[in-house]
Amino acid sequence: MVSRRGLVTGPFGIALLVLALLPRWTSDYHVSVVLDVLMWVAVTESWIILSGYTGYISLGHSAFFGLGAYIMAMTWPQLPFLLGIVLAGVLSSVFALTIGLVVFRVRGPYFVILTLGLTEFILHVVVNLEIKLGGTVGRILMSAPSLATLYYAMLATAAAAVVTAYVVKNSRFGAGLFSLKEDEKAASALGVNTTLQKWAAYGISAFFPGVVGAIMALRHSYIDPYNAFDPMVSFQVIVMAFLGGMEEVEGAVVGAVLLTLVSEALWASYPYYYMIILGVIMIVTVKFMPLGLVAPFKGRLLARAADGSGAGA
Amino acid sequence: MLELLRISKIFGGVQALVDVDFNVKKGEIAGLIGANGAGKTTLFSVITGFHAPTAGSVHFKGENVTGWKPYEICRKGLVRTFQVVRPFPRMTVLRNVAIGKLYGKVRLRDEKRAEREAYEILEFVGLVHKAHVAAAGLTMADRKRLELARSLATEPELLLLDEVLAGLTPAETVEAMNLVREINQRLGITIFMVEHVMKAVVGLCDRIMALHYGCKIAEGTPREIAGNPAVIEAYLGEELEI
Repeated sequence: MVSRRGLVTGPFGIALLVLALLPRWTSDYHVSVVLDVLMWVAVTESWIILSGYTGYISLGHSAFFGLGAYIMAMTWPQLPFLLGIVLAGVLSSVFALTIGLVVFRVRGPYFVILTLGLTEFILHVVVNLEIKLGGTVGRILMSAPSLATLYYAMLATAAAAVVTAYVVKNSRFGAGLFSLKEDEKAASALGVNTTLQKWAAYGISAFFPGVVGAIMALRHSYIDPYNAFDPMVSFQVIVMAFLGGMEEVEGAVVGAVLLTLVSEALWASYPYYYMIILGVIMIVTVKFMPLGLVAPFKGRLLARAADGSGAGA
Repeated sequence: MLELLRISKIFGGVQALVDVDFNVKKGEIAGLIGANGAGKTTLFSVITGFHAPTAGSVHFKGENVTGWKPYEICRKGLVRTFQVVRPFPRMTVLRNVAIGKLYGKVRLRDEKRAEREAYEILEFVGLVHKAHVAAAGLTMADRKRLELARSLATEPELLLLDEVLAGLTPAETVEAMNLVREINQRLGITIFMVEHVMKAVVGLCDRIMALHYGCKIAEGTPREIAGNPAVIEAYLGEELEI
């Protein structure tokens, strides 16, 4: 019988292997589509670490994405690629930890609006800085690494995000996050330092969008504040997380894959339909399967695995 | 073990607590009575760090803990239950209790061990048959037991019980009273309890303090309290049934 660990790591390992070999088999077009999918997997996984596990819904993850993109734009090509993306992630976390000292003073809808507002604020700061410094708002990134390099970097980022979300969820730290999501006052009465927990989750959560932003800046080889800090990134991440299940590591993957493929099919020719579909998916998910696509299947599978190992022992 | 020195608390224009002095001694069961709005729950919230007192100080195990955060006070060994119970509704009962083991005074690192020890506590409070049920599905009596179990999981030295008997049937009340007595005698945990059910207060407590509109009007043994004119005055209209 399959153990719980086997059930978790088996498919993950196989998927990783297939994805690693992908550039050998397919065209650049397919590789770039999968690159997009991996980008959303990484951002959605990081989003659930904060918002899925604590219930503090962030509508501001595009800020970290944009920040990462700008850090890459400013350091490329003086810094080596790997150093640049790690730096983007680290500075993104540092930024989150800084604003994290303030943003958790509010909760519920106020937190959602505050994170959205902060992103808009940063966007306008960057626009004004760029005009002051360079006279224009766009930046071109010359001599970007090959598609394959960017692809492997994104694959590693997505894999790291999945592993991080999994480890956090199953750790003592994760138990604390889930307890404060359920009842913050009760959690603090039982010894959970809720302020520290949320703050740390925010810092972890901001790392991956920073890295992803840096990689995507090189992928597009041109950035301006409006596409780097596009609030659509934040909206899309939320729909992906809700669709798959915002407390499930697998859910973030399922949501990201499904929605990226839908967008790939529709975005180019029918952009407005895509926006409508996004809205419809959001409403249907919240109304009819608030736990997302994955949760019902997963409960059953894990129960069976647990029974199996019990019978074997 | 717990010393309250001239605690006052003002909410806007309302003086919820006025210069309250009280000591809880190690090993005893102390009671706190008073009509609705007398400031009982406010006093508990001040002791456990949910509200800062406007004046006065709280000392626990000889240390001034005034202004400490609830989680810091919990880790020092002082924990409260809530009058309106606050389980983590979507977690299983076992998981609820394990949180106390992981984050309370003991701060276990090992999740397996936390769940094993949580299981022992569920056995103690008689909730083991519900271990794998989501807390949202419990009856009121079981929620009260869970609230107790979760507090015990933090391994407190002093436990503040905020009306754990309220809303229970007479039979459940007797069971819960026995449980409180066992927590005190078998586990050696000092207890400070708010209670409306006079029979329970008198039956359980070694010493009682009575609050009225935020002021301490009496302190003494159950017998002294029951005969105290100020207490009778404050409770006028309610039956003092012993």
